[in-house]
Amino acid sequence: MDHIFSGQLLFSALVLGSLYMVAALGLNLVYGTLRLLNVAHGDLAMLGAFTAFWCFTLLGLSPLLSLPLAAGLCALAAWLVHAGLLTRGPLAARAFDGEVLQRLEANSLLIFIGLSVILQNVAALAFTGSPRAYRYLDGVIEFAGVSMTGHRLAALTIAAVIGLAALAILHFSRYGLAIKAMIESPMAAEVVGIDVRRFRLGALMTGFALAGVAGGLISMSEQISPFMGFPVTIASFIVIILGGLGNLRGGMAAAFMLAFVQVYGVALTSPSYASVLLYGVFVGALLLRPEGLLARRVASR
Amino acid sequence: MRRFFAATAAAVIIAMGLGSALASDPVRIGFSIAQTGLFSQAAPSQMTAYELWRDDVNAAGGLNVAGEQRMVEFVFYDDESDPSKTAQIYEKLITDDQVDLLIAPWGTPSHLALAGVLEAHQFPMVGNTAASVAIREVAPGNIWFPTSAIPDHIGPNLAALAKQSGVTKVAVIANLLPFAQENLQFLVPALDAEGIEIVVNESYPPDIADMTTLLVEIKESGADGVIALSYPADSFLYQGQATELGVDAPFQFLLVGPTISAFADAFGEGSSGLVTLGHWSPHQDAWPRARPFYDAYVERFGMRPDYLDTALAYMSLEILEQAVAEVGLDHDKLREVISSGTFETINGPVHFTGVENDTTPTAFLQLQDGEMHLVWPASIATADYMPR
Repeated sequence: MDHIFSGQLLFSALVLGSLYMVAALGLNLVYGTLRLLNVAHGDLAMLGAFTAFWCFTLLGLSPLLSLPLAAGLCALAAWLVHAGLLTRGPLAARAFDGEVLQRLEANSLLIFIGLSVILQNVAALAFTGSPRAYRYLDGVIEFAGVSMTGHRLAALTIAAVIGLAALAILHFSRYGLAIKAMIESPMAAEVVGIDVRRFRLGALMTGFALAGVAGGLISMSEQISPFMGFPVTIASFIVIILGGLGNLRGGMAAAFMLAFVQVYGVALTSPSYASVLLYGVFVGALLLRPEGLLARRVASR
Repeated sequence: MRRFFAATAAAVIIAMGLGSALASDPVRIGFSIAQTGLFSQAAPSQMTAYELWRDDVNAAGGLNVAGEQRMVEFVFYDDESDPSKTAQIYEKLITDDQVDLLIAPWGTPSHLALAGVLEAHQFPMVGNTAASVAIREVAPGNIWFPTSAIPDHIGPNLAALAKQSGVTKVAVIANLLPFAQENLQFLVPALDAEGIEIVVNESYPPDIADMTTLLVEIKESGADGVIALSYPADSFLYQGQATELGVDAPFQFLLVGPTISAFADAFGEGSSGLVTLGHWSPHQDAWPRARPFYDAYVERFGMRPDYLDTALAYMSLEILEQAVAEVGLDHDKLREVISSGTFETINGPVHFTGVENDTTPTAFLQLQDGEMHLVWPASIATADYMPR
């Protein structure tokens, strides 16, 4: 078991964690600011994955360069959802009416399940259900005794950049402060002069865009298909619940925690326990601290 | 004016009546397919074979039904990868839609679920994508399984191939799903019988996200052969991470995965030398139908057929086609012909004893320079096994 301290395991855990982090950050943004349970999150990642795939196979465009396109398409989807579903009728004028928000949150599960089904089946009709894959940066780099496949290293790097940018924005910029305020209390945020409506649209678009980016990164190392989104959704929900719903930085830490549990837990026990460890830790953590391991307060309205 | 309309209407109705009396009714073939759900990634490889066959048959003037040419029409529904829905759908196809013929859904659980329905209605159907020792529990007479990839044959044959390829120490990793575990059950004693030492024997859950620990264990064990009883998702994971970690055993076997078009797209020549399950290859000249089928498929769909599922699906249709040409659509006659006849397929001759195909041997394919060659058994091999 002397390889438990090896750089190889660390690299694997970091790559896995960074993918979880990017996906979960998007979901957390959407839930935190809008209280919407976006179960279509993984399907947005699927859209991003297909964008990267088609750009690579049809246009020869590197998936790293098509990530902004994937992000843009998903942000556009967010705008359409916002304009078409979330601001119609009784929702249009009453941006933060408590009763409306409560109803919206309760219905969001249904709304997004519907969105998920539509995305999956449109993709299946358009692309067929056959799995697709492509080769990109698949050379293996050796560094300090650790072997790294090129595209895994690239995914880790890009995810790290996104994570650091997110942390910087949250900590240093006014936008980050506004988002944190909105997550804490939308009513109070409006009172202190934050344009809640605009920020909510922005958060929705950023959240969806991050899902698309996560999908693009995943597409470099996995086969993709219209129904690949569900495991991504599940993993993202586990991460944000562990970290505390709406707690953006908590979610980012929880993503790595989960990856480390999966990779090192298997190393300490046996590969058969990979799933047991993941869900066992999740259930155990919820029993001990239901508001999330890293939450500083219970998310309330 | 009214009389004019009435006369025109009468003429149209008479013309339609005459028209339908003159043209033959199409042959309606019913089935369910996993368009959504767990199996939806694999099912297209079968659906494409069905579509190719239907369009080729219709382009040639229709299906030969005991001398009469009739066009083929599919009646199908999404079974959502749910075997209980499969059974319901086939019940509906038989009693409500009253189709003339039935063809198979995707996957072993679906086949086993509808066997009872076929028995109850005495409606024969040629199966395809089902491989399990459980198929022998099915009462013969209305369902047949053309695949030769049955776990209790795979185990001894794989062990023999490994032995012949010079493997002395083998690492076995297996997905926890039923088919993989069934194979493990028969593989371990077969390896012992061949005198091959099993240095790693681990099972992992289907949703495993990282195989670093497994692969490091395999590398450190000094195994000169790796047998991964894996499904497509973990085959992908294995190949990517094994390449990263430099697992370089000369004999590497992946149960299900390399026959999928996307696998070669993802790994290119890095996957060369991988051995996998499959009993069909377009390179076998003794099967004249193989190469034309391959070329037609590639031309139509722009990708290679799946060497397991697509080949099996097409074979099941060829068998049905030949049986129908001989005796028409009568169920009893079809049952008799399919049970006793020998059929020419893209995989060579096929003959059934009970539910099983007794002609096609359990075989393995190897990726050599981007092409899939049969390397076992010698009777149908298209190339020699090459160590990686």
